[in-house]
Amino acid sequence: MRTLSSGSLWKLIGLSAVISTLLLLAGFGYAVKDMLHPKGEAFEGTAAVPALPASGKLSEAKEISITAIGDSLTKGTGDATGEGYVKQTIALLAKKYPDADVRLNNNLAVNGLKAERLVRLLETDKGYRYALMQSNVILFTIGGNDLFQIAAGSSANKKADELDLNKLKAELPQGLNQLAKVTKLLHDINPNAHVVYVGLYNPFYDIPDFRAGSLQIQAWNEQAYALLHQYGNMSMVPTFDLFEQTIGRYLSSDHFHPNHIGYAQIASRIAQSLE
Amino acid sequence: MDRLLPLIQNEALKIWKKKRFLVILIVLLILIPIFTYAQMKIAETNKSHFKDWRNQLVQQINEYQNMLSSDRIPDEWKRSRRIAVQQLQYYLDHDVNPNSPDGVTFTRSFMSNAVTLFFPLLVLAIASDLVSGERTAGTIKMLLTRPVRRWKILFSKLVALTMYVSLTVVASAVLCYLISGAVFGYDGWAMPVFTGFVIQGSSIESSFVHAVPQWLYLLMEAGLIWVSSMSVALLALMVSVLVRSTAASIVTMMAAVISGTILSSMSSSWQSAKFIFSVNLQLTDYLAGSPPPITGMTLGFSLLVLAFWAAASLTVSFSVFTKQDIMN
Repeated sequence: MRTLSSGSLWKLIGLSAVISTLLLLAGFGYAVKDMLHPKGEAFEGTAAVPALPASGKLSEAKEISITAIGDSLTKGTGDATGEGYVKQTIALLAKKYPDADVRLNNNLAVNGLKAERLVRLLETDKGYRYALMQSNVILFTIGGNDLFQIAAGSSANKKADELDLNKLKAELPQGLNQLAKVTKLLHDINPNAHVVYVGLYNPFYDIPDFRAGSLQIQAWNEQAYALLHQYGNMSMVPTFDLFEQTIGRYLSSDHFHPNHIGYAQIASRIAQSLE
Repeated sequence: MDRLLPLIQNEALKIWKKKRFLVILIVLLILIPIFTYAQMKIAETNKSHFKDWRNQLVQQINEYQNMLSSDRIPDEWKRSRRIAVQQLQYYLDHDVNPNSPDGVTFTRSFMSNAVTLFFPLLVLAIASDLVSGERTAGTIKMLLTRPVRRWKILFSKLVALTMYVSLTVVASAVLCYLISGAVFGYDGWAMPVFTGFVIQGSSIESSFVHAVPQWLYLLMEAGLIWVSSMSVALLALMVSVLVRSTAASIVTMMAAVISGTILSSMSSSWQSAKFIFSVNLQLTDYLAGSPPPITGMTLGFSLLVLAFWAAASLTVSFSVFTKQDIMN
């Protein structure tokens, strides 16, 4: 820069400064115009449709891509390590199929999700559909919040007193109705994936007044099985037996969600059921 | 008027000779590679976890939704997350990647993150000693004994300052693009970016949303940054006229700017904080559709507030500078 004379240095600075200022003023002007008098115009994006993975046995697949949807059980609430059954299932599948690349595509579970909202998400949310289309294993849980009316994350103990077994019974048909829609949508979105539904359990088995609730839970599980049975690629993993005698061992301190080893039991059942 | 141009030239060269602009360039040359590296690391992590950006975006939306269902999170925070979810969903629905890894996108996000603190600090490097520096060095007497009216001297300083503010904003964008582009690639100019989200309570009205090519978005953003930097520059000029030492001048302005940043993050319940200039510096938020620090603030409002502060500081600067006695 020392070789430049003051005159030409000034010309350089002055010219670039004037150009910069004009450019920035133009940008500012356009921004103000654009924001004070916005013109809405529809932007047509080209929707991306991923190729469905090939159907067939997992043992022959090169890549096992897992998408999990549903409520707090799928999210892994209650597991202090944050793994939940989904990540533990992945670890087990990776051991079971050492040649395949086993990976979590997305875990899109939402705490407190009810079946009705899941139906809406599957119908309208492009992100959900996109992730589900990519995967050859879909894991899901739903129904717990419909039956217990308990927002996941809040203490279940508080509300246990308000639980009404008759209400539980009344909720059944409606919840199952939504579950039927869920299974149909899942089949429409990705008929090639192995879909595993994790059945419900009665977290209040050890409370004498609510032990009878297990019968309603079983009624749900039975009819849920009938719904899933219609589709050859869907299966159901039972969990009710894990949370009866061993409820103290497998449930977390919120007395609603499983703890880490509770989820591990669910995960091992899922891994066993897949082929 | 014919006397003014040599004065401006003189002031512009003085700033150049004091190597202030060089300092700014060096700061940029050191900081931008650091941020580029950090961004590269984030991109690598994301790549190892997600198949493509849609999976990453849908996971991000899901995480926000889970946070929203928690009772422990303050309402104000929830509101901004709710808006973010809707915007991300809009991008996802229209299959546009809001954070595509390219040089232009990096530049865009760097610039908008830099508007409240980084740009003001760069501007202060030039503006803070414009007048007080002359006092400290004693050259002000020389300057004022020349047969030129005082307002012309201050005016020429003002023009030189404006020139360097423009150069700073443009140089930041150019350096950012050149450096980050070496890692992320030099394209992304034509990528669509959505703007025009109208925030109503905790939801967004999307009927005015439209896509602009990213180069135009970057230009608009730079223009808004220039305006907010200019308002900082004018205030700093005033402080520099009022305060005798350069150190005091820098500290005063830095305190004002930093307190504004802190206030914006906590002043949701103090409504009248919105009249403070430094709460209004984040003009780029209006472009991106992020919720303003205080409910009810709009682009027009912020521009008015900044214009008022700028006009007031100009008035004070000129009236003090033309009348004050110079003593040592």
